[in-house]
Amino acid sequence: MAAPAFPVAEFEYLDTLWFQVSGTLCNLRCSHCFISCSPENHTLEMMETSQIFQNLEEAKRLGVKEIYYTGGEPFIHRDFLHILERTLNDFPTSVLTNGLPIDENRADQLQRVAEASPYSLEIRISLDDYEQERNDAVRGKGTFRKVLAAYKRLYDRGLLPILTVTEIRDYLEPKRPGEGTYDKYADLLRSIGVGRPRIKLIPVFEMGMLDAPKRPSYVTHDMMEHFDPRLLQCSSSRIVTHKGVYACPILVGEEGARMGTSIGDALRPCSLYHSSCHTCYATGMTCKNH
Amino acid sequence: METYSKVALFGGVYNNYLALECLLKDCEKVGVDAIFCLGDMGGFGPHPDRSFPYLRNGQIRSMAGNYDISLAQGKEDCGCGYTDPRDNHFAQISYEYTFENTAPENKSWLGTLPPSLRFALGPLQVELCHGSPRQTNEFLWKSASPEHLLFKFTQECNAEVVCCTHTGIKWHRALAQGRHFFNVGVIGRPENDGATNVWYTLLEYEGRKLKWGFRPLHYDHEVLVKEMEREGLPEPFITTTRSGWWTTCLEIMPAKERACGLY
Repeated sequence: MAAPAFPVAEFEYLDTLWFQVSGTLCNLRCSHCFISCSPENHTLEMMETSQIFQNLEEAKRLGVKEIYYTGGEPFIHRDFLHILERTLNDFPTSVLTNGLPIDENRADQLQRVAEASPYSLEIRISLDDYEQERNDAVRGKGTFRKVLAAYKRLYDRGLLPILTVTEIRDYLEPKRPGEGTYDKYADLLRSIGVGRPRIKLIPVFEMGMLDAPKRPSYVTHDMMEHFDPRLLQCSSSRIVTHKGVYACPILVGEEGARMGTSIGDALRPCSLYHSSCHTCYATGMTCKNH
Repeated sequence: METYSKVALFGGVYNNYLALECLLKDCEKVGVDAIFCLGDMGGFGPHPDRSFPYLRNGQIRSMAGNYDISLAQGKEDCGCGYTDPRDNHFAQISYEYTFENTAPENKSWLGTLPPSLRFALGPLQVELCHGSPRQTNEFLWKSASPEHLLFKFTQECNAEVVCCTHTGIKWHRALAQGRHFFNVGVIGRPENDGATNVWYTLLEYEGRKLKWGFRPLHYDHEVLVKEMEREGLPEPFITTTRSGWWTTCLEIMPAKERACGLY
């Protein structure tokens, strides 16, 4: 029998469980969003709170180490704070937000929820350039100022958020390599009074709002020989949505990455069939915090 | 299998032979049946070969950490598992210094160390690992290690007590069914609390129950600082030894642990 066209990532154990809590619904319409989230994109709907709680029970039984909430924008889910509070009873938890919903009141609530838990709450806030104009061209007018204000609100409450930066600057202008990018963001955060900046840089995925690559690269069988599959997040992560479980947060909603209807269906190797799998392979990318 | 009633456990020597000397004296004072080292002998500090006479004189039973495996196998990096470029930069300087200054026979000895250790403490089975029972360089921080996972580890190890190190900060969690999970801490570097001392762990089975305690070691850190300076080791490491605040390995820390530090 002929070998399948694409190699698979062996499944080790379920370490990290993601929830696409708000589906593809978002208050922003970023020009590089890899799953094209927007206020009108209902490809993936909001998750039912009860569905999340059921899956958390399953995750506990399986020994999952940490939970991540993403979207869309998680905070537009009406039960989100309640969901977060309950999750933090049992799990270290991360939230990926664009920061805009974090006003003074919500920052106070998050501080209360974080302090009540024995586990860390990691809040990741997205920004896409250290210059206002360039960021706002990607994320929307006024977002630069609002994102930094949200970051500072959380920082001042001791929550130490992580600024998550897509390397879109280098993608749009490859002639200007991102040398010193990390320091630019650290300096930006220090300029608003953040003494302990935390920053995560992630590569651009050419899908969703961006055109597919003209000459896509794929992971080959040869490339997987002598390669530690644990370096790929799909060896130990899965993402739950309102309509099933997918291999990873990047390929969420893609039919080829759908693993089944329940977590139990998804505890098996997944195909490295997409050009984005090559991006993870080549860059050592993980959607996780570290 | 050996059975003990009182043991000392530590990890992360990180070339700190002064703390190691101090630990052996303290163990003599408190009186223990056995002393266990959970790995990572090198890195961070000066003069790697000065630790080995203590480690190899038969008083301490050791297992391998990621650092020891890298040194023994001649790997290009320490395999600590950092993801931040700045953390990796300083880790690399430290690894190359340690690699160049560790005698071949000591590297060979590191290659003989087992990946885990096991003993009985009274009727309790105790399993020792470096990072976690499933991965040598897994970071188990207190605020990022859920109780159900720790319990699962104890079940999978078939042990009432599981101990790890690797992160550099000690902690304990009591689990269901009278089980326990410990991170025994490290003796090579202070634990980001503004104090210059380092820590090790004592476990004792007495009166039909497990007793535990974390013991501080106050070694002469100024001597270590001078040696680090003379050896040209990175300034951030020297600052940490002198101040008790971490200046590197910060990005891998979860929010709660990071919030306790100065940087």
